[in-house]
Amino acid sequence: MLPIRLSKESREPIYHQIEKQLKALIAGGHLTAGTPLPSIRALSKDLEISVITIRRAYQDLEAQGFIETAHGKGTYVAEIKDVLKQEVKTASVSESFERAIETARSYDYSDEEMTAIFHAILEKRKKGE
Amino acid sequence: MPSWIEINGLQKSMDDFQLGPISLAIEPGTITALVGNNGSGKSTLLKLVMNLANADAGSIEVFGKPVDGKDESWKRKLAFQPQKIIGWDAYTGTTLKKMISSFYEKWDEALFERIVRLFDIPLDKRFGKLSEGMQQKLSLALALPRNTDVLILDEPTAFLDIPSKRYFMDLLIDWMEAEERAIIIASHQTDDLRKLADYLFVMREGKAIGHYEKETLLESYRRYWLDETPDGSVPGEVSRDRQRIVSADPAAAEHYFAVENIRIIDHAALDLEEIIDMLLK
Repeated sequence: MLPIRLSKESREPIYHQIEKQLKALIAGGHLTAGTPLPSIRALSKDLEISVITIRRAYQDLEAQGFIETAHGKGTYVAEIKDVLKQEVKTASVSESFERAIETARSYDYSDEEMTAIFHAILEKRKKGE
Repeated sequence: MPSWIEINGLQKSMDDFQLGPISLAIEPGTITALVGNNGSGKSTLLKLVMNLANADAGSIEVFGKPVDGKDESWKRKLAFQPQKIIGWDAYTGTTLKKMISSFYEKWDEALFERIVRLFDIPLDKRFGKLSEGMQQKLSLALALPRNTDVLILDEPTAFLDIPSKRYFMDLLIDWMEAEERAIIIASHQTDDLRKLADYLFVMREGKAIGHYEKETLLESYRRYWLDETPDGSVPGEVSRDRQRIVSADPAAAEHYFAVENIRIIDHAALDLEEIIDMLLK
């Protein structure tokens, strides 16, 4: 079973959440090229999501070159270029920062205050190591 | 994709009950759940599809053939498991299997045996002597191996315990994987709906409330926790508990909150159960 966790709180459409998490698993090297993916129906049951939504996510991932479908053999993780891996990683980190900034903005923190918090966390982690 | 089953403007009245008009299409590769309270007309609708009752108006076509026509070849493409099976009580599982398997060219004996072992079904006992749960298990063991294109199940898990329900779902999933197939399942069990259904066809007192793709339905409702109680009614408002509002039109509701300067403290999607409860009220 894939470690995919869908969020009820998020406004992001479900197919997009699935796509993004699969991309992250592939780019992060957790799913290597050639790894078989669950069938659309099996993933549909595990995630409690309709096959229509899963199919849409798989089709998008295939169009972007992350996965491949061999007729009669199911769906596999494709060989992807390092550039693409890097893009996914950067996008994922940027998104986490975006969310943090949004939270800070909702408390009316200034850019300077946010940067101070950011550096404080980095410092703390350095000491912790 | 052409539909395998097409129901158009179907109507039927019985005593003081009026079904329809109902229109519904079933596509290959999908699982459609019929959802509704007791007496909503689900079983009647399924019987009409199987041509076990006559419609007053409208049409049902299965693989392009009207179900009440002369050509009954479509019947071999559908397997129907009714809620209460009439005429099986006096026979043992072994006898029933012999009778049924001879009708279906693609009968899968290995699958039958697998299900019998999985559920530990006693084949030498008369059907009528089995518990309700065991009757449902045997019915399923006699339905799936027919390898028809479409499987129609009326409340198939009502008497199953939790582990058996899990086996049941896995069996249906495996069955769907094998070929291009379709399932129609009438069910009260929300677990069936969450794990199996792609589409929900919701019925109330014989009328169709809606035909929804599962995620589209889930995404069309949202619950908001607000920092103040809105004075006016919120777009799409379906329920309100002080600062907690459920809207069936999240985009319009969020626009309204922004205009009215009401802050959203938190928000979340609803559970499928909650949405169904609201639709059936």
